[in-house]
Amino acid sequence: MKKTYFQPIQIGFIFGAVNVFLVLIGFNAMVASLLAKALGEQVLTALPPFPYLAAFTILLGLWCGIAAARKSSRARIAGNVLAGWLSGLAAGSVTFVFCVGIGWLLSNKIDIRNYLTVLSFDFINGVLMGLPPLVGALANLGILAAAGAVGGLLYGFIQSSKVKQINQPILALTCSTTEKLKRLDHGRRRLAFQILGVAIAGAVVIFLPLNWGSYWNYVAGTVGLYVILGLGLNLIVGLSGQLVLGYIAFFAIGAYTMALLNSPLPYNLMWGFWPALVLGVIFAALAGLLLGLPLMRLRGDYLAIVTLGFGEIIRILLKSDVLTDFSGGPRGIQNISGPTLFGRPFNSDIDFMYLIAISVALAAFVYNRLQHSRPGRAWLSIREDETAARACGVNTTRYKLLALALGAAFAGLAGAIYASRNQFTGPEEHSLMASINVLSLIIVGGLGNIPGTILGAFALKGLPEILREFSNYRLLTFGALLVVMMLSRPEGLIPSKRPKYKTPQEADGRNAEEKNVS
Amino acid sequence: MNETLPISIARKGANVLKYLRPVFGAVILIFIIYRLIQTLLIQEIFGPETWTRLVIAGMIIGSVYALIAIGYTLVYGILFMINFAHGEVMMLGAYTCFFVFEALKNIKVGADHSLAFSNAYPVISIIIAFILGMSVSALTGFLLEKVAYRPLRQAPRLVPLISAIGASIFLQNAAQLLFSPQLRDVANPQILARGSGWKFLINGSSVTIPYTGVFTFLLSLILLVSLYLIVQKTKFGRAMRAVALDKKTASLMGIDVDKTISLTFLISGALAGAAGVMWGLHNSMVYYFTGFVPGIKAFTAAVLGGIGNLPGAMLGGLFLGIIESVGPAALGIDFQLKDVIAFLLLIVVLTFRPSGLLGEVLAKEKV
Repeated sequence: MKKTYFQPIQIGFIFGAVNVFLVLIGFNAMVASLLAKALGEQVLTALPPFPYLAAFTILLGLWCGIAAARKSSRARIAGNVLAGWLSGLAAGSVTFVFCVGIGWLLSNKIDIRNYLTVLSFDFINGVLMGLPPLVGALANLGILAAAGAVGGLLYGFIQSSKVKQINQPILALTCSTTEKLKRLDHGRRRLAFQILGVAIAGAVVIFLPLNWGSYWNYVAGTVGLYVILGLGLNLIVGLSGQLVLGYIAFFAIGAYTMALLNSPLPYNLMWGFWPALVLGVIFAALAGLLLGLPLMRLRGDYLAIVTLGFGEIIRILLKSDVLTDFSGGPRGIQNISGPTLFGRPFNSDIDFMYLIAISVALAAFVYNRLQHSRPGRAWLSIREDETAARACGVNTTRYKLLALALGAAFAGLAGAIYASRNQFTGPEEHSLMASINVLSLIIVGGLGNIPGTILGAFALKGLPEILREFSNYRLLTFGALLVVMMLSRPEGLIPSKRPKYKTPQEADGRNAEEKNVS
Repeated sequence: MNETLPISIARKGANVLKYLRPVFGAVILIFIIYRLIQTLLIQEIFGPETWTRLVIAGMIIGSVYALIAIGYTLVYGILFMINFAHGEVMMLGAYTCFFVFEALKNIKVGADHSLAFSNAYPVISIIIAFILGMSVSALTGFLLEKVAYRPLRQAPRLVPLISAIGASIFLQNAAQLLFSPQLRDVANPQILARGSGWKFLINGSSVTIPYTGVFTFLLSLILLVSLYLIVQKTKFGRAMRAVALDKKTASLMGIDVDKTISLTFLISGALAGAAGVMWGLHNSMVYYFTGFVPGIKAFTAAVLGGIGNLPGAMLGGLFLGIIESVGPAALGIDFQLKDVIAFLLLIVVLTFRPSGLLGEVLAKEKV
């Protein structure tokens, strides 16, 4: 009995704390101005009109009520409403205390913007909806409680039998479709999906770049480069199970090879794009090999931290004064010339988009072939159990080195194209955060498979570009999403299927049985 | 069809490695000795006063690293995960330090209300800062575990790592949005004013041992020793070691595994908070990115000492701090490259001792 009241109140307190936090970072103003823009209102100041700020509170209250009602799982609507109202009340009381606090600041004209940046007097006034402090705080409390109750009501309504009945056929339909899909012959289904996927990708790649503006081509190009990076890291982390954190160092090597060979400063070598591309790939692979040679005894997190250190070493060296004469120092290398093909220079993002698309296709092809070849199987065995793999005669050292070198080569390719496209590369482009981004994208997408990598690259590099509106809150949302994503789908958006290999006996099952009989 | 597995395990690569490692070691050793002779005996760029200064700075920063490294090691010993957000836990401690001293500076006491509280009662205000900083960080660590790590305890090893990375990014940006990205100066009480310290002369030039540094060093030593005693002598410490060895058996022996893990996060958070307050007092640079570099360095230190090993983490922290401070001068390299030396040290140590300087104690069965 006690728990039925206690739990919604607990949820309410959490939501109240979240509300206070969001207000303190100014998130409510951002959402409110988005709402206002969506409804076609001009927002001239940083602070949208009060109704929209209230709308944010209402939305949060609704969510709070729904969450509480869902957790309490009452049968009747009244119970859901009660749970929602209780949680709204709890959230409201937290907000009430907060509002009284900031109201006190407002009425005493104490400016603490130096410490909590968003709390200007206008903003406080907005949160209190233009009312006197105590009344405004009470209004917030009332809104949250009412919205919580409405949320509970909504949830109860959706849960009630009527809606369920409407849902039933839809549910049945989706179930049967997935069943049918499952029953479809595995090989045929896969082939169908592959053809479909390649056709869509081909159409997108061939037609869309011409219609996009330069900006979207740039964004799509970045996503494509991150797909290549992701595939390379997938070879190392996803297939062979070696956790490498400083992966971007290989990208940097590719980028700097391209830059040094094709820029007027500091050497004015101007070797052209294609030789530099090949050299960038080779140098990156060599770096992978050189890093791997002494470190192949290390496992798991030791390898992770050492590669992280390697990445940082490369970045700091590039940035330091010691190498300024050789690598441009902290300012990086500018004016990297682009590629020419049959006398035609690449000078727009569209050209580069095609180049990147071809590279992605190439990388995906190589990745796919590697995955299903002898090294691929060896990597899988190493990932699952290195000792067992070794006992079965897999030369683990060699295959681990191979994975590292090949993964590094992928990164080198991406880096060379990246530098050439941006006509610039500098040490800060190769920070630890970039490595972490690549690692995050392959894990969010689903470790060890190509569609997952592509989806992850879109999610992590494409979405932030689309969500420019969020600007300040981009990284915050990204971090929170990473956590939520891992909590809800730890195996990634597109989980990998475990490949099944048949042993000779199994494939030749009848033969073996006959032998047994005889 | 009749594919026979190659039973003879060909290890040409391994053989190459066998020769490569000593060669690699010899090259590094020769280089270090050569540079040392160059800088110490032939060029004599720095006199003993500089070396003393560097060692003092290294010991101070090393003790902060050690405190943070303990947090990594404790968590790693129990959950086998890198708590990537640990640096941010420390950053929140540093922010708390800033806010506490800012508040205490503005509370005026005394006869004519002109004396700041933090100067009138410095000991009390420092104690307040430590209590608040440690509790804020401990609470953050506790919540972090509850929200971001606990549901993932059965997941593959990479998943909690990504969750931790997400939490780290979230905390950094939350701090930036809340407190603005600007660099903050902690208003130290006068007895711990920055730049003041015992001065003495070596070779005719004065060397300062800063009060904040001595304070930091001694306090972290006290904290480290008390933590060691807690882990070794108390019932809770025994529970912690048991959980680190084998969670299932520990729970069969009546140990509340969840509670033990929560407490571990509380303790490691509190230590990181103390490190944060000390960072604020000594270095004064408090901003949202404060925790990142010390976090990475401390993790490096933990690995250096053998992750999962408490004395290893302390030793690794001090060792890393001193090497990083003395190394560039000793090898005659630019001071910008001190991080390069820190990470190179890590690579070299792990090449020859793959499980750290002191080896792993808490966690034998990882990987």
